[in-house]
Amino acid sequence: MNVDITGLTRRFGRHQAVAGVDLQAGPGVFGLLGPNGAGKTTLLRMMATVIPPSAGRLRLLDRDPGAYGPRREVRRRLGYLPQNLGYYPGFTVAEFVEYFALLKEMPAARVPAAVATAIERVDLGDRARAKLRTLSGGMLRRVGVAQAIVNEPELLLLDEPTAGLDPEQRVRFRALLRELAQQATVVVSTHLVEDVGAACSQVALMDQGRIVFQGTPAELMARGTEQGTGDAPLERGYTAVLAAARS
Amino acid sequence: MNGPPPDVDLGRVWISVAAQVWHRRPSRLERVATRLLRSPGLARALLTTPSLLLPWLIASVVVLAAGAAATLSSGQPVTALLAPAVAAAAIAYSYGPGIDPAWELSCSMAVSDRMVLLARALAVFAVNAVLGLAASAVSAVSAAAAVPASGAAAAVTFGWLIPMTAVCAFALAVATVTRSASAGAAAGVAAWLITVLSGRVASGRFGTAATDPVLFLPYLAVGAGCAAIALYASRIPGGTRP
Amino acid sequence: MDDDDLVARVAAGDDTALRELFGRHAPWLAVRLRAVLPAADVEDVLQETFLAAWRGARGYRPQGACGGWLWGIARRQAALLLRRRGPADQAVTALPADLPAGQQGAPDPAETALARADLEVAVAALGPAGSPEREVWRLMYEQDRPVAEVAEMLGVPPGTVKSRAHRARRLLRAALRAVEGGTN
Repeated sequence: MNVDITGLTRRFGRHQAVAGVDLQAGPGVFGLLGPNGAGKTTLLRMMATVIPPSAGRLRLLDRDPGAYGPRREVRRRLGYLPQNLGYYPGFTVAEFVEYFALLKEMPAARVPAAVATAIERVDLGDRARAKLRTLSGGMLRRVGVAQAIVNEPELLLLDEPTAGLDPEQRVRFRALLRELAQQATVVVSTHLVEDVGAACSQVALMDQGRIVFQGTPAELMARGTEQGTGDAPLERGYTAVLAAARS
Repeated sequence: MNGPPPDVDLGRVWISVAAQVWHRRPSRLERVATRLLRSPGLARALLTTPSLLLPWLIASVVVLAAGAAATLSSGQPVTALLAPAVAAAAIAYSYGPGIDPAWELSCSMAVSDRMVLLARALAVFAVNAVLGLAASAVSAVSAAAAVPASGAAAAVTFGWLIPMTAVCAFALAVATVTRSASAGAAAGVAAWLITVLSGRVASGRFGTAATDPVLFLPYLAVGAGCAAIALYASRIPGGTRP
Repeated sequence: MDDDDLVARVAAGDDTALRELFGRHAPWLAVRLRAVLPAADVEDVLQETFLAAWRGARGYRPQGACGGWLWGIARRQAALLLRRRGPADQAVTALPADLPAGQQGAPDPAETALARADLEVAVAALGPAGSPEREVWRLMYEQDRPVAEVAEMLGVPPGTVKSRAHRARRLLRAALRAVEGGTN
């Protein structure tokens, strides 16, 4: 189990963004669905060790990130793509990816090859030395993915990774995810239900800080047989589960 | 001719070519910083501090303003003691959640963001100190040429920028050796307090310590000593890595 | 964008041009090298070749012979690799016949191996196995038989043998020049 979460809670002031979440995930692609404000980003941020939980048990890669030493070990094996990743306009693609590779304390000798691999994997090989300010939004998102995968992480957390990518790029991205998921746990938080269906082996649906469904995409589709609204089976399952949870 | 031989992995070959073509060998300064700080990531963060332009400008402006208040006001103790706090807050904000576009990502990095802020503080003060020295030299020349010029540049440089550079270097050295950013920051605060208070004792006026050019050499010595300590400590084979 | 322009761009420091050059030329270079080297060595030699091309592109004279230039670099890198390994590791057999250019003294096995790769490509240009020029080449040059003997074996007059040998040498020279020029 790369991710082992029990009763995880996070409060901001009086608002409970995450209200008691249980989650176990091993290797594979794990999808996180839910409306805005459901707590997906907060959950992802806790798994990325950016914010500590308010209560509950969090174990990542068999370590407790509450202590400094294990947290550093987790971070070396972690890849994270935040929802709003900015960029340094004067950096080139290679410089940006290399900078974060170094901050993840990758051995310096391995960094150049790892950076080249990451850049080619996201299909930016012809822009490696282009300045970030010359890139489009979709390309910048791919640069973000590149820095997340540069250290071949065991735990990869992606918040809205396909924002700004065209359908062909999304197909290639899903193939990349499946490749990475052979060894790692990949958690993808997304609005795009089709991404979930095509790539994920497990799906969790969050609403108001709680997980209201956890299972395979097929099981989610099965939930939507009559009650749900939507064009695609997954969408129907999604709306059916949400409706049931709120009633 | 058909495709390449099936047992030759051209993708792998290209990666090894690209690895060398795309990689930029770090500058001499960065290699030295890497050895002193025992962390290539921290060294890179330190040296890219000025290249992040907007944070750099904001941090520098506030640092210089705080320095002007500290040294040019007439011996107000509170200003001299609080100025570093204002400067530190400005650096933390401009290279932090306020302005750094990749701040969220930096918080998930193995190299602690507090160590990075400490390193950036040193960069802000050190570069501004160098600029201040240049400005002081210019105003000294113009004073010699009997052109009226304020000694403000020299006062701020020798009274604030250089001592604070020494304090930051000391703080970073302590942080490197103890592997704790908090320990380093505490050491830096202590060092500044001692500086200001010993100046008070020496001349009966707060804030002078700093303005006294006689103490300039000790500050340099402190900075050099910190570098020496860190260099020596980085030679000791590491025990348990935190 | 033709090859000469690409190399000019590489010389100016454009890494995307190097990438394009790699995409175009690495496959056939790999095939040529694979004829004489194991796969792992082919990968090493290709890596060194394109790094050398990246560093030395300024020395290239644009004459439309980009392939030949790259092959020349690849040959040198392969020879370096084989020489580093030492004679014990060279699992290559010596050339059965002298190259038209001739070699002074004991031929360098590394160079020989690579020359052999060139030669095999060129000999294929003489025609399919069994064609008149190919047969003459095989008997006279590879097996080193005198003209009279070859004429008797093939059942043709010696004059015919000589003229076929002449044509074979001409074809071979042209083919070797083309091989050096990098056409596939």
